[in-house]
Amino acid sequence: MIQIFHVTKYYERRPALTDVNLQIEKGEFVLLMGPSGAGKTTLLKLLYCATPLDEGQILIQGRNVARLKPSAVPYLRRTMGVVFQDFKLLPKKSVYDNVALPLLVQGLPAFETRRKVMEALKAVGVDHRKESRPAMLSAGEQQRVCIARSIVNSPIILLADEPTGNMDAELAREIVELFKTINARGTTVLVATHNRQVIEQVGRRVVTLDQGKVVSDEGKGL
Amino acid sequence: MKRLIHFVREAVANIRLNRTTTLIAVATTAFTLACFGVFLLLYLNLRSMATSLQSDLKVVVYVKDGTPPPGVSDLQALLKADPGVQALAYVSKEQALADFRAQFPEESHLLQGLGDNPLPASFIITLAPAYRSPDAVRRWADRLKSAPGVEQVQYSRDWIDNLNTIVGYLELAAVGIGTVLSAASVTIIASTIRLTLFARRDEIEIMRLIGATGSFIKIPYLIEGAMLGVMGGAVSLAMLRGGFELFNARLGMPGRFLGIDSGFHFFSGQVAAMILVAGLLLGFVGSVVSVLDLGRAKS
Ligand SMILES: Nc1ncnc2c1ncn2[C@@H]1O[C@H](COP(=O)(O)OP(=O)(O)OP(=O)(O)O)[C@@H](O)[C@H]1O
Ligand SMILES: [Mg+2]
Repeated sequence: MIQIFHVTKYYERRPALTDVNLQIEKGEFVLLMGPSGAGKTTLLKLLYCATPLDEGQILIQGRNVARLKPSAVPYLRRTMGVVFQDFKLLPKKSVYDNVALPLLVQGLPAFETRRKVMEALKAVGVDHRKESRPAMLSAGEQQRVCIARSIVNSPIILLADEPTGNMDAELAREIVELFKTINARGTTVLVATHNRQVIEQVGRRVVTLDQGKVVSDEGKGL
Repeated sequence: MKRLIHFVREAVANIRLNRTTTLIAVATTAFTLACFGVFLLLYLNLRSMATSLQSDLKVVVYVKDGTPPPGVSDLQALLKADPGVQALAYVSKEQALADFRAQFPEESHLLQGLGDNPLPASFIITLAPAYRSPDAVRRWADRLKSAPGVEQVQYSRDWIDNLNTIVGYLELAAVGIGTVLSAASVTIIASTIRLTLFARRDEIEIMRLIGATGSFIKIPYLIEGAMLGVMGGAVSLAMLRGGFELFNARLGMPGRFLGIDSGFHFFSGQVAAMILVAGLLLGFVGSVVSVLDLGRAKS
């Protein structure tokens, strides 16, 4: 599903990732660990084509990301859901409209959009705030809106960057359960996190990055 | 359908976002189109005047004094058969004298000293439309001059020609001024849209990450530009209408002048619609120009 070969990424000549190799099979649930600045966000960005890679190759669903035409990138992104570390919600749109955006972009019929958006909002427990602007929500609520937006589209791959960073233990547990359910339905899930509780709760494969290198890869095939 | 609503809502939101620049863009477009509209008004009115003068053009063919009645009939038959003649009226010597007396009662004594009736008989001819252009009239008159029984062919179209020349110059000026002003308003609209694009760059980036295609992102801005242009067009029409009414009230010549309907006319609905379309096109081109930058940015 996701194949990363010898990937190196520089920011202004400083390497953020060095010779990273990683194969993720369809239906896997992988946790990405590592201290701050290890390169977790950078790796995810490479996967959703938000930044170009400098060396190596990334294949997603068998397609070479670096060779993708710019016009094909939106269609690749539509098969993925992304929970951004900084949420990236549209400030002038309601919670509902934010979550509906991936469907609007694809031109889904109105009634189906409604059903899917409400379903996603309920799954993360923010359906009561659907008319609010993101700025009126707490950080944890905004994060949940972002999660709802990432799953509304029933993605093939779910990439989540620190998705429980602003939540208490109970809420984090619920979100992880949600991810597990989505994963059980066949979606490949890759979550970057510092949270020990999350790692224990998931109990699956854990890849650890440090200073841009993969330093351990445990629990494969669990 | 849903997407269309989205596009229009986005465009309206963008317009609301930058009120000041929107105002400037609309004003510039309105000014552009109004300047152009003044020319267009002048041009259309002068042209219709020239056309109506041309249709009123009369050519007078004077009959040689002493032509016997059969000669006059021959000439009449010749004229009647001529494809250039749309209508003709015969004015006999007696009729000419009576007309003169009726028109200039004071000067009728002038004729007294000249023996009996010095005025020639004549045919007054209205030319067919195809023969009304300056060249055609001259050619037609020259040809007729050598016909038997013709003393002289007279027509006065100098000032019609002048009018036509003015109309020609106006056309040139309108094209020149129109081009320069259009470029100005395209530029202004383009920078207005660019400001919106800049103000919303983060949102555009998010849309991209969500899987929006380039065109999905761009269409609202194209609509915004077109809307700005149409608004400019509407404002310019209002300005022109106002100015036109003022002009007409001040120095409008009501009624008819030289037998021609000389009242100035405002644009027909068709021309007004064309001005709105022109605004739309200016706006659209402006936004296309600004959105091109967006395409060049990495996705
Ligand atoms: N846009 C950028 N420009 C320059 N340097 C960057 C940029 N983004 C990240 N970096 C650098 O790359 C390295 C890896 O950053 P990255 O955001 O991937 O870390 P991370 O593992 O996600 O950290 P955190 O756990 O704090 O989110 C860091 O040293 C960071 O300073
Ligand atoms: Mg990070």
